[in-house]
Amino acid sequence: MSLAAEAFMSQMAAAEPWPENATLYQPLKEDQILLSDCASSLAVQAYLRMCGLPVQVVCRVNAEYMSPSGKIPFIHVGNQVVSELGPIVQFTKAKGHSLSDGLDDVQRAEMKAYMELVNNMLLTAELYIQWCDDATAAEISRPRYSSPYSWPLNKILAYQKQWEVRRKMNAIGWGGKTLEQVYEDVSQCCQALSQRLGTQPYFFNKQPTELDALVFGHLFTILTTRLTSTELAERIKSYSNLLSFCRRIEQTYFEDKRIL
Amino acid sequence: MAAPDELFCWEGDWGLPSVSTDCLVVLAYAQFAGAPLKLQKISNPWRSPSGSLPALRTNQKETLSRPSDIIIHLRKQKYNADYDLSAKEGADSLAFISLMEEKLMPALIYAFWIEPKNYVDLTRRWYAEHMPFPLNFFLPGRMQRQQLEKLRLLRGDERLEAGEELEKELYRDAAECMNLLSQRLGSTKFFFGDSPSSLDAYVFGHLAPILKSKLPNGKLQQHLKSLDNLTNFCTNILLLYFPKDGRENLSQKMTSQSEGGDFDHVPNKRRKQFLSALVALGAMLSYAFLTGMVSIQHIQHEALEEPPDLQDMGSHHNHEEEGDG
Repeated sequence: MSLAAEAFMSQMAAAEPWPENATLYQPLKEDQILLSDCASSLAVQAYLRMCGLPVQVVCRVNAEYMSPSGKIPFIHVGNQVVSELGPIVQFTKAKGHSLSDGLDDVQRAEMKAYMELVNNMLLTAELYIQWCDDATAAEISRPRYSSPYSWPLNKILAYQKQWEVRRKMNAIGWGGKTLEQVYEDVSQCCQALSQRLGTQPYFFNKQPTELDALVFGHLFTILTTRLTSTELAERIKSYSNLLSFCRRIEQTYFEDKRIL
Repeated sequence: MAAPDELFCWEGDWGLPSVSTDCLVVLAYAQFAGAPLKLQKISNPWRSPSGSLPALRTNQKETLSRPSDIIIHLRKQKYNADYDLSAKEGADSLAFISLMEEKLMPALIYAFWIEPKNYVDLTRRWYAEHMPFPLNFFLPGRMQRQQLEKLRLLRGDERLEAGEELEKELYRDAAECMNLLSQRLGSTKFFFGDSPSSLDAYVFGHLAPILKSKLPNGKLQQHLKSLDNLTNFCTNILLLYFPKDGRENLSQKMTSQSEGGDFDHVPNKRRKQFLSALVALGAMLSYAFLTGMVSIQHIQHEALEEPPDLQDMGSHHNHEEEGDG
């Protein structure tokens, strides 16, 4: 969002405490939501739980269109609407809740860099597998994305979204990659995350940060989502410390409800 | 020993071995790893094997275009600048490269291709001057449209246009990214100790064009210059690994300054002006003679005796011509 709007929002946000009726909107869990959106939504939910902020998850068919930036998920707090993990982190910071205050400058630089790594590689790989792999797109993505709509709107919207994602892949240079290469990139990314995590409970030792929430969101979703092939989940399972990391966060922050 | 691979890349200017970020990344990595490459510095992307630059043509006649693919290929050939890195440092490299691609690259695209003053005064002028005829007429415009579309897709906004709002946002992200890089570099010579790695190549490739090019709207450049360790990092790499390019451009700059004027720098200006005037005069005279507007008559003695009576002379000459012709 623009700088002026952001400054205004921070001012407004700082004025009020976190209300009880904050809601998070996402597409329908059972039929409509796709892997990448589910991962982003879970990351935000994990982050808010780590901050101790209560939020209600509401599923709406047109969540994508309601969102101010067009991306899932978005939260409705008081009289403000904020979408995507980055702006939500800043929003909660303006309200006085932050997970990364205890980090020094070098650690904060590393945290931001690793968050970009997840966005750049994992999220892009998820989008690629969903929309650029013909088998997955035909069997899973297009039917799910267009399930709430009737013919011919469902066909039009599904193909429009697919075309849009494919153009983006071409623009960033992923258009020419094969599925094998994409799996390799995911492995590399997981290896980097695994190296960074090491034997610590969280990425920055004792306390979880937004990076932990983001990594948890993506990895947990990939491990628990059914795709046309299990290759992606297998690649992640080969890193045992990442598996125990996901399990730890699930048990600590999500023990009261079943996530997926 | 097999023949070295061929690398096609953009020409250099402003003291850099190449003007394009991707080409600089590949060139820097090749220097760091000591890979022998046959360099083809061209300014015509249509002459490259893949239609775009940089492009590496390997011994097996395979063509690679993405910088990451080229680096992986060089690593497989045992030219590995990341050999000494620990596992954690390798992971950090990947993370910081992603950070630059997400935060710094959009600002670079904007600064060189979308911002109107920069594009017209620097980028389009450079590419039009260096590309051969007739590509210089349409290719810079086409490249600009491609870069605008790329920026639109990266930001997810189909109706993105150049403007102050967008500029502030992009430059703010880029400034933050540069600050983070500066914090990570600290006071060491390279990012991971004393020998450069692939992360150093990527950082150099992204920051060197900002530092060295003469952008009219130089906000990014000012911010980069305020970060001393990054500035020294870039100049250090240029001195150590690309000494020839720095010196060549220095001598070019000196001769051009003696001819005066930055924007009107054309070699052999006077001679060209004189030749153009001569050609124009010659064209006008030959047209005049061929259509008969002017004719040279050998009647010098008559003109000297009588006072000039134009009408008489005219009719007299006509009679003479009819008699001769």
